[in-house]
Amino acid sequence: MNRTLAVGAMLAIVLALVGGSAAPIRGAEPAEIVVGSILPLTGGLATTGQGLKLAQELARDLINGRQPYPLLMAGKDGLPNLGHAKLKIIFADSQGSPDQAKTVAEQLITQDHVVALLGTYASATTATASQVAERYGIPFVNPDSSSPTLHTRGFKTFFRTTPHDATFSENLFEFMSDVLKKQKKPPVHKLAIVYENTLFGTGAADAEEAIAKRDSYDVALRLPYGANSSELQSEVQKIKAAGADVIFQSSYLNDALLFMKTYKQQSVSPQAIIAQDAGFIDPNFVKNLGKDADYIFTRDVFSLNLKAKNKAVPAINELFKARSPGGNNLDGNTARDFTAVFVLADAIDRARSTKPEEIIKALAATNIKGSDTIMPWRGIKFDEHGQNTLGNGLVEQIQNGVYETVWPFDVATKAAIWPMPPWDKR
Amino acid sequence: MDLGPLPQLVVSGILTGLLFALISVGLTLIFGVMDVVNFAHGEFLMLAMYLTFGLALVGLNPIFALPFVALAAFVLGAIVYRLLIRRLLDGPPSTVVFGTFGLLVFLQGAAQYFFTSDYRSVPNPPFQGTLHLGNVALGEAQLIAGLGALVMTALVFAFVEFTEPGRALRALSEDRVAAQLMGIDVQRMNALAFGLGTACVGAAGALLMLTYPAFPRVGTEFALTAFVVVALGGFGSVQGALLGAILVGLVEVLGGFYISPALKLIPVYALYLVVVLLRPQGLLGRR
Amino acid sequence: MTPRSHGLALGIVVVALAALALGYHNAFVLNLVFVGLIYAVLGQSWNWISGYAGQISFGHALFFGCGAYASALFGVHHGSPWLALPAGALVAAALALAVGFPCFGLRGHYFSIATIAVAAIAEIAVNNIGALGKANGFEMPILAPSLASLQFDDKGQYVLMALVLFAIAQIGTITLERSRLGYYLRAIRANQEAAASVGVDARAAKLATFAAGAALAALAGSLYAQQTLYVGPEDTLALPISIAIALVGVVGGLSTVWGPALGALVYVALARYGGAVLGGQGHGLDLLLYGGLILVIVSWRPDGLAGIGGSIRRFVRRRSAETPA
Repeated sequence: MNRTLAVGAMLAIVLALVGGSAAPIRGAEPAEIVVGSILPLTGGLATTGQGLKLAQELARDLINGRQPYPLLMAGKDGLPNLGHAKLKIIFADSQGSPDQAKTVAEQLITQDHVVALLGTYASATTATASQVAERYGIPFVNPDSSSPTLHTRGFKTFFRTTPHDATFSENLFEFMSDVLKKQKKPPVHKLAIVYENTLFGTGAADAEEAIAKRDSYDVALRLPYGANSSELQSEVQKIKAAGADVIFQSSYLNDALLFMKTYKQQSVSPQAIIAQDAGFIDPNFVKNLGKDADYIFTRDVFSLNLKAKNKAVPAINELFKARSPGGNNLDGNTARDFTAVFVLADAIDRARSTKPEEIIKALAATNIKGSDTIMPWRGIKFDEHGQNTLGNGLVEQIQNGVYETVWPFDVATKAAIWPMPPWDKR
Repeated sequence: MDLGPLPQLVVSGILTGLLFALISVGLTLIFGVMDVVNFAHGEFLMLAMYLTFGLALVGLNPIFALPFVALAAFVLGAIVYRLLIRRLLDGPPSTVVFGTFGLLVFLQGAAQYFFTSDYRSVPNPPFQGTLHLGNVALGEAQLIAGLGALVMTALVFAFVEFTEPGRALRALSEDRVAAQLMGIDVQRMNALAFGLGTACVGAAGALLMLTYPAFPRVGTEFALTAFVVVALGGFGSVQGALLGAILVGLVEVLGGFYISPALKLIPVYALYLVVVLLRPQGLLGRR
Repeated sequence: MTPRSHGLALGIVVVALAALALGYHNAFVLNLVFVGLIYAVLGQSWNWISGYAGQISFGHALFFGCGAYASALFGVHHGSPWLALPAGALVAAALALAVGFPCFGLRGHYFSIATIAVAAIAEIAVNNIGALGKANGFEMPILAPSLASLQFDDKGQYVLMALVLFAIAQIGTITLERSRLGYYLRAIRANQEAAASVGVDARAAKLATFAAGAALAALAGSLYAQQTLYVGPEDTLALPISIAIALVGVVGGLSTVWGPALGALVYVALARYGGAVLGGQGHGLDLLLYGGLILVIVSWRPDGLAGIGGSIRRFVRRRSAETPA
């Protein structure tokens, strides 16, 4: 009998604890502000997802700590307007699956009672997770998905800090005309758009084609190809036959390498090859191609090799490097996720409330100077769709095996070399 | 007359086809001798590529690694036959399909788990130059891979045609019962055929690393192409596999250029359907 | 097991899961149940053609994709999802007939490879056809939750819908086992020539089974799309999905009523939950275990988990019979 009582009492205590911890934390001045973060922590994107988690954790610790950095919201011992409440991030795993991302979003909102969501890297998972947030009226800050359609869904809760593929593509065209003007080169007309035909390449190519048409370039060739092709002979012959001045290319690493080898073999020498990051900024690209990787232009979102707007970048990079198991530097993805945590913390702090609708209002009023972040952006300010309008990409060129920033000119480390020399004159 | 890019496309198609041939010869050999379609064939290719990559990390050129990789693949094939395939042959035909399918899933999972899904390519790969024959430009690596595949395929053909064990293999594939009555050790011959078939993809894996990276799912597409090749050439026919592979290589490259690169595999897969439906014995196969 | 005991078992499973769906509001757990049920239905639809009819398909995702894309297209073009369900099922059944009619003449592995080829062609085609969303797929519009829009606020209601489909699949299988068609299929599998000589039309029997299975898989695809509200080729049509469906069917046990459900349970446990628990970079571990399980099963127990369950039951029955009352 005693035993039954004891077990019953223990059960009651456990239940009370479970119930207590799950109770909503939406009081006036809480000790902790809980936000949820959805990332691909396992699955095919796990390596990237784990890095993003480290970046968000670093941002959280700088916000909750007292060490000052020239960053908005850093070193103020939590959120000052909310009684120095500490920011807490609950991480959830999307497994890279749209269906799983949706589920964990629902769980974070209904069970963990998060006041806002961050995530989720892959565009397909961001699409489904943000639907849930919209349905529950919870703000969703997206640091890193680049599909141009995400912000055009009429959502009231969706805020994207990163520029998207259309902006990046716009930057590539701006870069091209800026360089030609600056170096007094004749304008180019004929373009070829080459892309792998899954989500990433198709989105980029659509954006590029739209801009090319608007600016009345001649798109001599639009060439989709299947990623992981075992040979690319017919593709390269088509490109050669098109005789474009500039090739715009979106490829994963495997195809990028195979394309470059086949270009060299078939002496395909346009004035420039301008790439949408992915395979072209993979560390293995230069490692594998050596000298043959030179002169390629690629967009990027962040670089340590630029004239930084913020002096804290090297120090933050060291902090990140120390935490990364592989000793990795900050890159485009981790830098963007790091930054988004500050954007969210700033909004919650200005809202002086943890009510989701107040945070949404504050997010909509966000106005952060580029120099208060580690990004090369002009700043962060959302339009009526929740898209940051002050973001921009970078253009880098591989020169002697090093990625040098060549655009925008105010952060450039080297001048662009245009056109690239033909293969037999290198 | 200006043929435009046609000569280049034809030569590239043939070189691509030769590599397909080496992969397919292994598959057709196994099929001919024991009537087994090995769904895990592409996974053996994948393992061979990782092994070549590993040897390249300690400084061994893929061409010199080839004999070791082929030998290792032979041993692996024989072991897999002894431990797994032999048991499956006793069951109904579907058992073999599921068994080799299980092996496919298992090996792919193992590669993903132990090697991660990153792409691995040989650092500073050899033979990166280009040869020019008139208007036709050829990558040295492709040329070497293609010729290597041709030599290996010829060796397999010679083995099957002109040696004592080769004759026994052919006897088995022609009439199993009669071969058994003539005193051929079926288990040994099966193991030999499976080992030899795996050695072929082993060699193909080493050659492929000259131009292509290794990753866990690399075998799937090549294996699918090999199925098409084997069906086209006739299940069980070594010469047929060579002919079928070159045809498939040409269809892929020419179809890619004249139709659309994004759709270039559709004619290849459609070719399979047409062949198995209209001429199930393939081009050179016997019924 | 008799039809009566199958029915009883089904009743217990449905009631238990319905109670869970209505009473337990944990999104993560309910999603596991939902995905499990979808895969149980997919595995069952595969089991009809590849188990009972003995034609092994490695392209079953094609039919799942038909349903998912039907839902997506109706959703994007503001049609009722209730029309998408039959539309997807019809297209899938028609495709099954178109593939099955010529290909059922082929010997076993020729057919299996043909299914891979057809599914691969479909995937490449979808990736290049603008009206089918290319690689971007479709994000379906969010509608006010109701039975009419087939969109719900609560995961539990999706589970209830999936339970209905699961019950249909199970009842269909129990009926199939007892029906004339089931008898034909058994005869064909035992000896096609002998079956033909007593007047069994093997091709017609297989076609009927294949079309019904394809339609069932499409229904599962539609429901999945209604829940996820995102449909893309990689998540519905790609080879790994076909492989997963076949895995569920083989592991559970071919030609058994409960095999696919057991297979789905193992699939969810390993692939979905396993990933979350094992964590870290544990990708591929599920495939590794799954492949290993298949190798063990085909080498020692071709009738899968359901067969092992049957042996245990018989063993227990014998023991209890031996025990004096």
